[in-house]
Amino acid sequence: MGNPADFSSSNIPGNTGAADLVLTNGRIYTVDASNPWADAVAIRGGRFIAVGRAAEVASCIGAHTRVVDLNGRFAMPGLYDMHTHPDLALAPGYSGDLAIGLDDPTPEQVKQAVLDYAESHPGDGWIYGQYFVRYTFKQAGLVADREWLDSFMPDRPVAILDRSWGCMLVNSKALELAGINTDTTDPRHGYIERDSVTAEPTGILVDGAYAMIHATMPPTPQHALKRAYREGVQFQSGHGVVGTKYVHVCEHRLNALKSIDQAGELSVRVEAAISWQDDIFPVKRRWELLAGERHFYRSARLNANAVKFHFDGTHESRSSYLSSAWPGESSWRGHLNLTPEHITDMVVDMDRKGVRVIAHCTGDGASDLFLDAVAEARRRNGDSGVRHQCAHSTTLLDANLPRFAELQVTAEFSPVGWFPSSFANARAVFGEERMQRAYNFKGVLEAGGVAVMGTDWPVSSLNPWIGFEAMITRQNPFAEEEGSFYGKPISLEQAISVMTINGAWCMGIEGQAGSITVGKSADLIVLDRNLFDIAAKGNIHNTQVQLTLLEGEVTWDRLGEFDGTDYAAIWQGELPNF
Amino acid sequence: MNRRNSIPVTIVSGFLGAGKTTLLNRILSSDHGLRMAVMVNDFGAINIDSQLIVSQTQTTISLANGCICCTVESDLIEQLGRMLDNRENRPEYIVIEASGVSNPVKIANTLRYPQFRDVLSIDSILTVVDAAQFENLEGVMAQLAMEQLDAADIIVLNKIDQVRREQVDALRARWLYPKARLLEARHCEVPLELVLGVGRFNSDGKLKPAESRVPSHSLGITPARDHGAIFDTWCWSSDQPLSLKALRQTLAALPTDIYRAKGVCNIAEVPGQRCIMHLVGNRCEINPAEKWQGTAPFSQVIVIGKRGAIDAAAFQTAFEQCIA
Repeated sequence: MGNPADFSSSNIPGNTGAADLVLTNGRIYTVDASNPWADAVAIRGGRFIAVGRAAEVASCIGAHTRVVDLNGRFAMPGLYDMHTHPDLALAPGYSGDLAIGLDDPTPEQVKQAVLDYAESHPGDGWIYGQYFVRYTFKQAGLVADREWLDSFMPDRPVAILDRSWGCMLVNSKALELAGINTDTTDPRHGYIERDSVTAEPTGILVDGAYAMIHATMPPTPQHALKRAYREGVQFQSGHGVVGTKYVHVCEHRLNALKSIDQAGELSVRVEAAISWQDDIFPVKRRWELLAGERHFYRSARLNANAVKFHFDGTHESRSSYLSSAWPGESSWRGHLNLTPEHITDMVVDMDRKGVRVIAHCTGDGASDLFLDAVAEARRRNGDSGVRHQCAHSTTLLDANLPRFAELQVTAEFSPVGWFPSSFANARAVFGEERMQRAYNFKGVLEAGGVAVMGTDWPVSSLNPWIGFEAMITRQNPFAEEEGSFYGKPISLEQAISVMTINGAWCMGIEGQAGSITVGKSADLIVLDRNLFDIAAKGNIHNTQVQLTLLEGEVTWDRLGEFDGTDYAAIWQGELPNF
Repeated sequence: MNRRNSIPVTIVSGFLGAGKTTLLNRILSSDHGLRMAVMVNDFGAINIDSQLIVSQTQTTISLANGCICCTVESDLIEQLGRMLDNRENRPEYIVIEASGVSNPVKIANTLRYPQFRDVLSIDSILTVVDAAQFENLEGVMAQLAMEQLDAADIIVLNKIDQVRREQVDALRARWLYPKARLLEARHCEVPLELVLGVGRFNSDGKLKPAESRVPSHSLGITPARDHGAIFDTWCWSSDQPLSLKALRQTLAALPTDIYRAKGVCNIAEVPGQRCIMHLVGNRCEINPAEKWQGTAPFSQVIVIGKRGAIDAAAFQTAFEQCIA
């Protein structure tokens, strides 16, 4: 939340005099073209007040200035991870749900586990968890259905997942609370198992039908969300991240982020994007949040002025929406979850409200339509100053490359597919011609646009250095596979810009952060290696971040350099190992 | 859409090396007279006589008998959707090979999604088991095996010639659930009419005359013996309405050497409408279908089982007791 003493407004003169902190004797790459390299920086009130030669910066040192000798270490601006999901990766495991915890529980053991859970969690709340296995019922000559659950737990809603996640078993109370009965329409990608003659639900729900139960259940508990985000920002600070986007939030997720922020533990600037759809979790206060409730969460570190939606599908399911037919198809181009009309009206309206739209577009047809929607917003609203974001951007049409600059849209890429691995190879399904322009950082950058990266955890690692290296090499950082992946690598300097100033631009703060420049927020990381002195391949992904500073605050101090001082880090010691 | 026009689907599951590919090869090259799409995991393993191949691409082989063989893509939903959209060459029967390390229930669940359930119907789920290797499974693989057996309507116990009778008995005792339907086989030689809804037991709800469209030599049995010599059929009919509950109980109680039953039923709880009954192994579905429209309501059931499995008098009594 920041210290009230640090806030300065236009008619209150700022502090004058000495720096709070000086870092000197470093090799500091600033990402500021007018002053690319420096030896030292001086920080006061969370901002850089001097960047340059050690002798010049020394003039800022006063009696109370803390001076740290970098001993020739390499430093650069902090990193920006522009698309990730710590909540989705971690919170389900932290929820304290029923865990039967046996490999092949018999029906009797499932029953006992439910009864024990009910006893230790008294009341009338949901009993939700995993797993049962259907074959043990078959072996016992029983049928896993609502009547079986009702026979010992009729009054409390129960939902148990099958071990292979093929189905969910629920009792009659759960069906009643979820409003599932003979008249209920099936969800599209799933179904409610029914008696074939009476259409009565049997208590088995398949795939997409889980969402009907989840929408009725209480949300993921706050303690689980808080722990997930807290560990997420800890890991990110420990890897040099100073700005990030948690793409997909609801009111409960925002509450969890706000409480971490208020505790002074939000060690990364977070832009949280409200989900436009209910496909991951229900967002009951979506319209209130978008109408203005989002401002309740705003602080120096947190904002919810963004919205995220899934425009098309995925590579694996051949549902990415392409500009022409998929390889081997005469007409199939993939799938759009929402119509272009819907998206156009939405982008125009959100743009007018100052809300950034982050659109999941894996296919070059989806991003083409999304850019059209942004063009329409610009035509109707003029330049709102809101930079919308094309997420994943796996393939882009060459004709669209200049439009990122023209329309002030960020092209965001996720690293999971841009170096050779069995996973990436399996996703290289767009056909040779399209794959040649996969993850086209270079094309966007050369056309004057802004490209950024997002780890998209848990799809790939939350560690941004893996994608950082592969952006430059297009090779497997762990030497698991030989050769280079499709697409053109970019230079180290370009990659550093992608990871730093471009991220700041993508968050709309490039005037205040993203490079080591006098007047900007004092965000800086100190590394165990000089990126300019090593071969990129095999040597960037395992970079150790020794210090992370955000607004002059030490968020990570690997070696305990600030122990026992006023600058003691928020996080030190061991990082969570996910 | 009318379920009677839906495309029957058979899912073949089982571990690597159990004999799935042998069975799929047999299905592909037999002369069943159907435009069949056989979706396999490993193209390379399928060994089709080159003289039968009309054309071939990286992912599809077209055969002279009208069959196509294609690879299963990572997303079955999209692949099936596209197959159904292809109006000119829409298959008349689909066989899907489940990956050796997957649970076939996931595929079965997908086929029951709203977008598919009226156009695709699950005829049968077959699990091929290597009799010699099975008892050694442990841990996760044993769990997966149980899931595959659980999903199966009919279990093909293959390589039966490589094991002793006591081993088969031990396997039954350890692995099989009550009411499991088992077909013992060498080289996956099983009568296709029994495991696929082809010929007399096709899925269009009409009962065909006794002779089969399928020459017996293509069914994996010696030409000298008609499948009628191995399997018995039994028919029952009535003009009285049947009780749904009683019919379900009777069908569930059929002995384990009854493999299939098919019928048109007049169900008391569903007046005015015919119901189609489809039983494969221990899975039975009874689905309301079109109105009787002038025809006097009736029930007609045909049952097929191992030779000697049919106790006509007992069956007669059991089905008579279904009359409401």
